[in-house]
Amino acid sequence: MGFLRIRELRKNFADVAAVDGLSLDIDEGEFFTLLGPSGCGKTTTLRLVAGLEKPDSGEIYLGEPCLVSQSRRIFVQPEGREMGMVFQSYALWPHMTVFENVAYPLRLRRLKMREIQAKVVEALGLVGLQGLEERPVPALSGGQQQRVALARALVFSPRVLLLDEPLSNLDARLREEMRRELKALQRRVKVTVLFVTHDQMEALSLSDHIGIMNQGRLEQVGVPEDVYYHPATPFARDFLGKVFALSGRIAEIDERCLQVKLRLPGAAPLRVRRNSAVFGDAAAWGVGKEVMIAIRPEQIAVWDSAPGGRPNIIPATLKGSQFLGDRYEHTVAIGSEIRVITSPSRLVQAGEQLFLELNSDEITLWPTV
Amino acid sequence: MQKGRLDVEALVCTVVLAGVSFFVLYPILLIVYNSFQIARPGAPPLYSLEGWRMALSDAGMLRAVYNTFALILTRQLISFPIAILLAWLLARTDLPGKSGLEFMFWLSFFLPSLSVTLGWILVLDPEYGLANQLWNWLFGTQRGPFNIYSFWGIVWAHIGHNTTAVKVMLLTPAFRNMDASLEEASRVAGASPLGTLRRILVPIMTPVLMVVLILAVISGLQAFEIEMVLGSPIGLQVYSTKIYNLVQQEPPLFGPATALSTLVLLALLPLVVMQRGLIGRREYTTITGRYQGQVVHLGPWRRPAFALVALVALCITAVPMVFLLLGTFMSLFGFFHIANAWTLENWRRVFADPIFLGSLKNTLLMSSGAALLSVILFSLVAYITVKTKFIGRSILDFISWFPSAVPGILMGIGLLWLFLDVRIFRPFYGSVWLLILATVIGGITLGTQLLKSNLLQLGRELEEASQASGASWWTTYRKIIIPLMFPTLVLVGVLSFIHAARDISNVALLATSSSRTLALLQLDFMVSGRYESAAVVATIVMLLTTGVALIARLCGLRVGIRR
Repeated sequence: MGFLRIRELRKNFADVAAVDGLSLDIDEGEFFTLLGPSGCGKTTTLRLVAGLEKPDSGEIYLGEPCLVSQSRRIFVQPEGREMGMVFQSYALWPHMTVFENVAYPLRLRRLKMREIQAKVVEALGLVGLQGLEERPVPALSGGQQQRVALARALVFSPRVLLLDEPLSNLDARLREEMRRELKALQRRVKVTVLFVTHDQMEALSLSDHIGIMNQGRLEQVGVPEDVYYHPATPFARDFLGKVFALSGRIAEIDERCLQVKLRLPGAAPLRVRRNSAVFGDAAAWGVGKEVMIAIRPEQIAVWDSAPGGRPNIIPATLKGSQFLGDRYEHTVAIGSEIRVITSPSRLVQAGEQLFLELNSDEITLWPTV
Repeated sequence: MQKGRLDVEALVCTVVLAGVSFFVLYPILLIVYNSFQIARPGAPPLYSLEGWRMALSDAGMLRAVYNTFALILTRQLISFPIAILLAWLLARTDLPGKSGLEFMFWLSFFLPSLSVTLGWILVLDPEYGLANQLWNWLFGTQRGPFNIYSFWGIVWAHIGHNTTAVKVMLLTPAFRNMDASLEEASRVAGASPLGTLRRILVPIMTPVLMVVLILAVISGLQAFEIEMVLGSPIGLQVYSTKIYNLVQQEPPLFGPATALSTLVLLALLPLVVMQRGLIGRREYTTITGRYQGQVVHLGPWRRPAFALVALVALCITAVPMVFLLLGTFMSLFGFFHIANAWTLENWRRVFADPIFLGSLKNTLLMSSGAALLSVILFSLVAYITVKTKFIGRSILDFISWFPSAVPGILMGIGLLWLFLDVRIFRPFYGSVWLLILATVIGGITLGTQLLKSNLLQLGRELEEASQASGASWWTTYRKIIIPLMFPTLVLVGVLSFIHAARDISNVALLATSSSRTLALLQLDFMVSGRYESAAVVATIVMLLTTGVALIARLCGLRVGIRR
């Protein structure tokens, strides 16, 4: 049983279901991310947890006590939930200094001035903003404002930290830096985090678990590697990153593997693990069934000559390459189809042949659409 | 080519600066100058401090100043909390029928205050007021408790008209545009809704509230006609009516009038500077237009809140309008129980009156002229202050704030002297042109500010993109600036038309019998006790102003209440 538990949560805006029967368990001290495109209901879910919205139905528990239950007419106001929240716009109060902003939750809790002082200094130290206490917040840079918002959310040791796309207003370099700091901070403070983002990179790098949301529902929940390499739905597969996909038909089925014959003259059949099928047991689909194989591009090894004795080799023709700094991106022709792959180094010249090796453990098998 | 353009621009800028400075500053200087000279107009000047001595020692003068501020303070104390509550309800809650209610406040803004006052007289007159008759009938008393001809009557007439409506109109968008996450952050941090209102909402809104308060004080000093009609019968004078009486009496006492005016002007200058500073510091008003957030659910308070807002909205629109209209059909204003109480005679008589027809013509001419001149002049002033590098542009900006600090009556005296003193202007005296000039000067602050804020929103890039595409400065101005500014230009035109049509304080001292407007005719009728005729004229002025406002709104115009 999780620490923060959401049961059958529903919220409609006009006729649109923003959150559509969502259930979720988050453990204490866990970094949980809701990942999805804009409008998928992730921010609404966060606001429901914070108490800034009232659900149409469903329940939310934090530890033992129930925060929200429409059926039992329970609704704990936001100020009673002991949650820290960082808003996308940071929502720093412009009429207060940095110190006053961070001290605000403590003042409301009627702490002694000496304690407030100590805790604010500690929180600002935690986010690396020592010495800026007396600055007015409009005078801070975006990154600094973000840190103040984080300090304000953490200063009273909340039971849960809610983060609403906190990195999206920062520039690329600062975003990466803040991402690393955020993770380190969470490890140190050990606070339970519910994080909302549309950036799969942030989700994959920060989270203990990711919940992929689409149209108000959870598509898949799992550890980052799992949802990335073994997506459970087409939406999760396409949203999480690039996909290399080819279609073919099941040619043979044995105890551990099955062979997929690609629609490609002269290529050997691909060996795929039987349990790699996303919907049900692939063996049950039967020989002759049209399928699609999918793999993340970085799980493809590229050879300039045919490597002997290895399975799952597909011949291709290089059409062109682009240098992206940390890697090369190649456009290749496989039969009559065009695909994009990456490699850390320059390959053969355009027009020459190369060979793709697909890691059989990382191939997932999908019914054709 | 480039050189030629710059010269034209510099010339236009200089002419505008010279013209605006002359017509704004010269009358004010005349007022200060005349406070030290006691000779009658036309006679050789005679310098003396007699005017100042009278202004500072005369008990009536001090009483008038005291009354002015007592009235302002009283009605602000009452209307501010009400307006904050109404604006918050309209902007941040799930109040039913919000847009309709907001529309009524909007409508109230355009009602002529004298017409509204006349409607209220019918309800609250001590002798025949309907409220008093109802009271007598209910409690069997001889004399009801309500009396509009009193301190509290004046307060009521103001609150029941612009004092509340203007605040609601100004505050509602400010509340609506405030970043909701600032409030939400406070709730999550552990504050209750009331704690959030006190600790976050009000401090953040303070600059906006200050601007509204300063505007209210300034317009309180401008107030003239309500005090004239309701205060004069009981000898309650305020600053503006006192000046009017000093100047209108025979012989006129210009010395003390101008000395008093100079003092008030000095007191007002800091307010103008403060207001300009507050409005200039845009970033502090935290109007970000970000995630609008959730409206507050009123729950069981929804119906009572609706009842409250609807009651106020009806009080400031329907009630005075309906009673004013009733009044036009009464053979004796306010007497419902006499034989033949109802008649069409008032309408027939007024329409047959050549004075009325002349006034109607004057009003239409003056209002249209003022609208046209305002649009041209204010857009020039706004363009010069925002978009050019003209040396005097900040002086021009500062001067454009002056008329908002000078009560209309006072500006009227200054212009009167200007037109009597300077020989080339003398033929204009008694013509509608003088009135147009007076109302345009009176409206320069608001009109220029509206256009300025619109121009500021037009990024420099829009012009530069046009010029980079090969357009000349003039083509850019015609094809880019004017079309983008068009809605605001129309808005300024409409506001100026309405301002002129109902204006009394700016023109009261300048109009002669040949240039009298409808609003002044109505005032004459009321002061001489001909309430039936006054009601007819008041209804026509009301139809004129609200009609223009409604047509403009139908054409897609939004005045301040929507972004």
